[in-house]
Order: sequence, then structure tokens, then C-alpha cells
Amino acid sequence: MIMMTKREIIRAVLDGQKPPYVPWSCGFTKEARAKLQLHFAPLELELVLQNHFVKLGSDIGFFTDLGNDRVRDVFGVVWDRSIDKDIGNVEGCLLSEPTLEHYTFPDPLNRRFFADIPESIDQYGDRFRVFQIGFSLYERAWTLRGMQNLLMDFRDYPKFVRELLNTIADYNIAQVKEALKYDIDAVYYGDDWGQQRGLQMGPKLWREFIYPVLERMVRAVREGGKYVLLHSCGDVDELFNDLIDMGVNCFNPFQPEVMDVPALLQKYRGRLIFHGGLSTQISLPYGTIEQVRAETRRLLQMGREGGYIFAPAHDVEGDVPLENILAFIELIQSQPGFCNN
Amino acid sequence: MSKLDDMRQSVIDGDMNVTRELVQKALAEKMPPEKILKDGLISAMEEVGRRFESGDFYVPEMLVSARAMKSGLVLLRPHLVAANVQAVGKVVIGTVKGDLHDIGKNLVGMMLEGAGFEVVDLGTDVSAEKYVSAVIEHRPDIIACSALITTTMPRMESVILSLTEAGLRHQVRVIIGGAPVTDEYAKRIGADGYAPDAALAAVLAKELILQKDG
Repeated sequence: MIMMTKREIIRAVLDGQKPPYVPWSCGFTKEARAKLQLHFAPLELELVLQNHFVKLGSDIGFFTDLGNDRVRDVFGVVWDRSIDKDIGNVEGCLLSEPTLEHYTFPDPLNRRFFADIPESIDQYGDRFRVFQIGFSLYERAWTLRGMQNLLMDFRDYPKFVRELLNTIADYNIAQVKEALKYDIDAVYYGDDWGQQRGLQMGPKLWREFIYPVLERMVRAVREGGKYVLLHSCGDVDELFNDLIDMGVNCFNPFQPEVMDVPALLQKYRGRLIFHGGLSTQISLPYGTIEQVRAETRRLLQMGREGGYIFAPAHDVEGDVPLENILAFIELIQSQPGFCNN
Repeated sequence: MSKLDDMRQSVIDGDMNVTRELVQKALAEKMPPEKILKDGLISAMEEVGRRFESGDFYVPEMLVSARAMKSGLVLLRPHLVAANVQAVGKVVIGTVKGDLHDIGKNLVGMMLEGAGFEVVDLGTDVSAEKYVSAVIEHRPDIIACSALITTTMPRMESVILSLTEAGLRHQVRVIIGGAPVTDEYAKRIGADGYAPDAALAAVLAKELILQKDG
């Protein structure tokens, strides 16, 4: 029997083939990660988790410490991290007026965005290589302009919104082109459009403003011969056909609280791959170990034929009991066919 | 169409300049301020809520409608005070301690205002103690607590417990909402109601006031 690498297994899933087992790539917040690291010490957590992705690039970017739990990102946006230590909450509004006239975008080709790629590939060469661009479009726009302002700008200043989104896309595409010079497999765009019910801006405005710009970003990756993985929190499954049409290969986080995970997996099998699925709003923080095990087993059973990459549907938060985290880790790693390598 | 119909439509369309203009005209023509409020602004926001529920409106439409409604309300408020027109009720609203997310809370606040409530916004990261102080200071009919993440959701129960400890629980209804919040959770922690979105939060608040008055 030929042993497939993690990279080959993810590629097989993305190509619509049946994998030897359901692969996974699970994320954790700093607090949850610290809890896990303490449990597994002295082992290195990344080696224990056996994630099938190696994440490259800077995801949400680089930050300058301003003291007092405040950091500034490369776009100049100040984030309050007094409470949310991982991302934070935007403080103030950089684009107080609907214009880019007085604003200069940062250099997308700053070496810091790509510096980790050779070393990470060297260290985790058997894993599927994902270059990450977080806050990739709508989210980047509202971090600059303010969420309420931007949502009203869709109505009040459509020309400005198009210019802002296209400038962000140009920035991302410049990064994608640079990342494609490395031996990567995919680009992961992260952009939250959903609410617990429906889209924040609705399908009409999404198709009018987001679709054409996102399509350009997706095309830049696909023309480079790589896969596109896309993340949007919330109830966004009404967009799946649009995402497929523009060339997206894989959707995350596949939240079971807002979408019918089994039905969608069945409906889109062969056309859109799903990454995520394990409840982080209910089962992980509030369920019993047995409930977490049962849900994990169901997901693994569903994904056995392919089309699915297991993960909790969000970075696991610090309020999740350690036993619940260990429960799903144990099950995914004990799948027949998986050899801890 | 009548002036009130036009005013109502301008709020639904999110056209705040027209709303302002029509409110000014209606006031100049000595139309009773309560009628302008109820048949013009509140009636429009009820329709906005209905369209949000039916999927015709999303957050952008709700925001521009609320902005138009507020622009009219600012002009109308002194006249409502002069005519001794009372608000439907008073709501103290906030996002609970440890949570800095505000758009959901803001939308609920706007829809409550659009339903005729007086809204006292405590902002984000609001401690249980601050809610208790606000109940003593403002004597609201309702407290509305928002939380976006599972790590902060339990703080809603702390608010209820603190109100009970302070002997204030019987004075005020508590409603909760936010992405991870459910009706079941609301019942479990002893809240008086849960709404899955801003439009239904306004409906819920009105029902609670009717129950109280009834």
C-alpha cells in the first residue's frame, strides 16, 4: 500500500476523490491553545495536532504594539485587544469620509508577508500549503471605514465602495502573485459576510458589489494553478452556487448552527468541498464529551466518501473544556488509515 | 399620497433629507406631534422590521431607514416633550462585560427607538454592576443585553443574578440576544425574552410592555 502524505490527501479531497480517511485542520484561539499546550507538554502542539494544512503568510497581518492593549495593523487601523486577545476590536475609524483621497495602502509585497514560507514548508513539507489572506475584502473595507458606515455606503456612496473593494483586491492580488512564486497549494481568503440568519448586506448587494471583485481575486489564484479556500462566518449557503461559479474550491467554516451540514455536504459533493462543521457555539462549549464524540463521529462518517475536511467551525475558544477538545482530537486521529507521521 | 404617507415612505426608502423636510412641514402645519411620530415614523419602522423579517431588507436598508427616522425624531422630540407625549417604554441596552461588539446592539437600539421606546445605550463591555446602577438611575421597563460570543454569553446570567441580589429584578424585564443566544438559553437563565434579530427585539419589547400594562 502506498502511503499518501497529508498534502496528497487534501489534494485528493479537493479533486473530488475518496480519501483514505477524513483529513483535518483545526484552529485554536490563544487561550485554548495554551490550555492544550499545557496538557501535551513537553510535546510541541503542532506536531501533536497533526493538522493537514500548513498555514503560510500572516493571515490578519502584522501589528505594532502601541501599549495599553492596543495594536496598529499595517493598514493603520488600531485594534483594542484588552478583551479579544487574538484579533481584537477596531478602535476609531480610519476613513472617516467616503474617500481614498488621503489614504495610502501599505506595501503588499513587504517581505514580512512571505518570510515564513520557506521555513514552514521545510518544517511541514508533507502538509498542504495554504497562503492565508484574512480580512480579505468586505472585512478589510469595514475595518478601515467602520461597519455601519460601510453598510450605509453601499446605498449612499456605491462608487466609493467599488473603489475601496477594488483597491483591496489589487492589494491582495499583488500578494497572491508573489505567493505563487513559492511551492504553495492554495490561497485561503477569509471574509465574514454572514449573520446568524442571512447575509449582513443581503444577496443583491453581495452580488452587485462583492461578487465581481472577489471573482477577480479567485481568478488570480486559479490561473496560477492553485486551489481557493474561502471562509465566511454565518448563514451564507445561499451563495454557494456563486462561489462555485467563480472557482472557489473549498468553503469554511460550515457552521452547523446556521446551515444544514449533512444536506449541504450531500448537495454539493463533487462541486464544493467543506472544511469545518463541528459546533463551536453549542457542542464544544456546552456539550458533554459524549455529545462531542457523537457529532465528530457523524461528521467523519459523512466525510468518508470525500468532499470534507474536518474542523471545529471556528478557532476553538478558551471556554471549551479540555476534555471536549481531547475528545474530537482522539477520534479524528484514531481513524483507520491514518498513520501518525 | 398624504404628507404622512410620504414621510413614512421616505423613512422606508432611507431618504433622510425628505423625512426631515416632511417632519418640518407637518410641524409647521400644526399636525399633532404624536400623530407624526406614530403614523409617520413608527409606522415606517414597523414596515422596515417586516421587510427585514421577510428578507426584502438587510442591515444596510435597516441602517439608512433608522437614520432617516432619527433625523425626523430629532426635530420632533422637543414638540413631543412640549405636548407631554410619553415614550412607549424605556429600555436600557448594552453589550455585556467582556464583549466589545456593538453593531447588533446598535441595530436593536435603533429598532426600539423606531418603535417609540426611549433608549439608554450603555455601550459595550457593560458590567452587571453598571446595569444595576442604570436600573436605579433610569428606572427602565426593560433591560436588553447583547453578546456575540460564547465566552461572554454567561455574563447575561450575571446581570440577572445581580439584579436579583439588588432587589430590582421584579422592577424590570430582561431581554437578551446575539449570535450564540437561543430561546432555550434565555429560559434557562431566567430572562424574560429572547429575539433572534433587531426587528423581532422591537416586537418582543412591545409585547412585554403590553403584558405589563395589561
